[in-house]
Amino acid sequence: MNGNPFDLIWYVLGLPLAGFLVQALFGGAVIRALGPAAGRRVMGALAVLPIVAAFGLGVSLVYNLIQLDPSSRNQVVTLFDWIRIPSLWVPFELRVDPLSMTMVLIITGVGALIHLYATGYMAEESDYARFFTYLNLFIAFMLILVLGNNLLMLFIGWEGVGLCSYLLIGFWYKDLANSRAGNKAFIVNRIGDVGLVIAMFLLVSLIASQGPSFVFSEGRFLSYDVLLSQSAINLYVANPLLTTVIALCLFVGACGKSAQFPLYLWLPDAMAGPTPVSALIHAATMVTAGVFLLNRLHPIFEASPVAGAVVAMIGAFTAAFAALIAFGQTDIKKVLAYSTVSQLGFMFIACGAGAYWAGMFHVTTHAFFKALLFLGAGAVIHAMAHEQDMRRYGKLLKYLPITGATMLVGWVAIAGVPPFAGFWSKEAILGAGLGNHYAEAANQNWGMVAGWIGLGVAALTAMYMTRLTWLTFFGPKEQWREIPLVDNGHGHDHAHAAHHDHAGHGGHAHEDHGPDEHNFFYTDAEVAARAEVPAHHHELDQTHTPHEVPISMWFPLVVLAILSLGGGYVLYNGHLFEHWLYPDGLALLSKEAVEGHPAGIPLLQLSIGAALLGIIAGLAVYWRGLPAKEGWDLSRWSPFRRAAANQFGYDRAMVEAGVDGGGFLANFAWKGIDVLFIDGIVNGLAAAAARLGGLLRTFQTGYVRSYALVTLVGVVALLGYLLIVAQRAGAMP
Amino acid sequence: MQDVPLSWYLGLGLFMFSTGVVGVVIRRNPVVVFMCIELMLNAVNLTFLAFARYMPAVLDAGESARSAWMAGQMMVIFVMAVAAAEVAVGLGIIMAIYRLRNEIDLDEMSALRG
Repeated sequence: MNGNPFDLIWYVLGLPLAGFLVQALFGGAVIRALGPAAGRRVMGALAVLPIVAAFGLGVSLVYNLIQLDPSSRNQVVTLFDWIRIPSLWVPFELRVDPLSMTMVLIITGVGALIHLYATGYMAEESDYARFFTYLNLFIAFMLILVLGNNLLMLFIGWEGVGLCSYLLIGFWYKDLANSRAGNKAFIVNRIGDVGLVIAMFLLVSLIASQGPSFVFSEGRFLSYDVLLSQSAINLYVANPLLTTVIALCLFVGACGKSAQFPLYLWLPDAMAGPTPVSALIHAATMVTAGVFLLNRLHPIFEASPVAGAVVAMIGAFTAAFAALIAFGQTDIKKVLAYSTVSQLGFMFIACGAGAYWAGMFHVTTHAFFKALLFLGAGAVIHAMAHEQDMRRYGKLLKYLPITGATMLVGWVAIAGVPPFAGFWSKEAILGAGLGNHYAEAANQNWGMVAGWIGLGVAALTAMYMTRLTWLTFFGPKEQWREIPLVDNGHGHDHAHAAHHDHAGHGGHAHEDHGPDEHNFFYTDAEVAARAEVPAHHHELDQTHTPHEVPISMWFPLVVLAILSLGGGYVLYNGHLFEHWLYPDGLALLSKEAVEGHPAGIPLLQLSIGAALLGIIAGLAVYWRGLPAKEGWDLSRWSPFRRAAANQFGYDRAMVEAGVDGGGFLANFAWKGIDVLFIDGIVNGLAAAAARLGGLLRTFQTGYVRSYALVTLVGVVALLGYLLIVAQRAGAMP
Repeated sequence: MQDVPLSWYLGLGLFMFSTGVVGVVIRRNPVVVFMCIELMLNAVNLTFLAFARYMPAVLDAGESARSAWMAGQMMVIFVMAVAAAEVAVGLGIIMAIYRLRNEIDLDEMSALRG
């Protein structure tokens, strides 16, 4: 393998891993040795550099890949045998192909920008090294997920990013709500993982049933070059039922990781983590792993139109549902979280309708503009003394010119206004949904239904993003000026009391503030020590003046804004992205079935119209700032908005069904099955043995003579028997 | 030789054995129990000797059956040796129990009762 330029891929994977080790082993010591300020600067640089270097290597590898013929753009680089037993062979191998390299560029590129941003955002954090330990580890796991050449390696990464997500959501673990949010994310993801594991078992059983010599696999049942080979594709087509089950199980896994409808509810709570985490993990990279999975194993989904219809309709429903919920949220990060769920729904519409490249295209553009929006929101939160409620904002453009300008770019990009990035990818998705004839089941073209729903959701998206933008950056007055100034001793209590009084945050009130101030989980010594540290930031009140963020934070914003501005057009122009990912078209679906441009429907006008309609409607409602109907007084909210604020009761119902229902089941299993049935059998057997023993015990008198008597009786009986036998046999006269 | 028939020996052996059995079962003194066991062993010895004497082979055949004829008598010697050893051990045990508990009533020796 010497001299293969693609061996460099190991450095792409190894650099973040090395960064993780450096942070984990030396981070705390370095910061202690150099002091907080210098130490954090050094460790921050050491966290960012590996990601930047990995991005550089990724770019050079993509350049190498482009030089190759399109048909040979799937280089597999093997490091060592991971599992090798008779009839199963799982090498530790990486796959360099357009799909994985696209994800690598997104992960390392956007990841590097977000790392850079985080060095500024987390500058006041005392647990600085721990944060970057997790963040670098996340990048490493995410790279394993996308680069691995078999499903088991994908699964390592899949679980690894779940772990990092859990660790980072609960980063400020001293606030119990954050720990709970982390738990919720981890537990809900387990449901999806079960689906993924079942799909893997079914795939192995399907392929292994063909014998070990099947397509040179030699037991490499889970490697992509086996799963994607022509013989395997023929196998999928020959077993439509099993293939549909496999596809649906895979989709269950994707639903968990990518926050689709039945399992989306962990993502809004995941906003408890620091904002860079929300941007990197819960918007740009990890949550798109489901879309990546569908792209990676697209022949399985192509072979099953039913699965395609399910994927498209779940995606459409999730998109609409989350968009409606976003209208009821006042927390700026929550709005962005629901918009992420909604945009992920769009990606699944595309995958369900057979336009896998459009799903990946939206992954890419979404990574640009959603990371931009999250980082911008983080900058706003940073500038507003960690207040996340949009009802406290207003007219911020004056104070935050760079953040404001870049977030405006993000706003029009997600709203779908040409020529911004979101327009091109959303247009491709809607075109695929409306124009394709693939996802058909029960004589209904579900892809088209999903496409029409998506068009409506596009208008909703534009409207709630306008709401967010206007309440934050425009409006007639600076809302936080209405918070009365109180003396320092009670300032904090007041802010929290206000917060809890008006907790319109959809159930849980998470704040993106630093370590919890509730004097709740700290020892007395810690509280006493903290009193000596001068407060980093004062509370938000009428004397507050927002300041623009430092360059380490606004530089990523600018880069992402440029990408959001031009990235979509560059990639879309001349089918660049589509031909890069799928140079030969799809495996099964013909060109006609996935024609991206619907005949007879003026898609261009419709999608631009939807975007403009949403923006205009949003402006009409929010032009004069916060309407009284959406203020602090919840009783004046419209019933729809109140219901949306509570996720239409879905979250509560699911949690109650999960917790109470699980409790009921466990109780039943305990009292009904375990105590009554299992213990009944076990204890009953023991009691029967004891009773039998008690019966037999009466024969054990302990008197020698009674034993002798018994022996005598036995001997006499034996002799008598022998006598009778002998007589029968005629031996005796 | 014709004066005492075989059945008389057997009848005496049976009587001695039954006496021994009844004694073992009903007596509470271990020394008496031992004597009864001896009685049973001797009843068996008697039958051995009687059968050896009246063995049809010995009556009819010649010298070739001499070893078989000796077997019954040898068994008696063997039983007597074993009985002597058994008595030595048994009396030792009885002595040990007496030292331990100051009594040798068999009905009190029921520590094995479950």
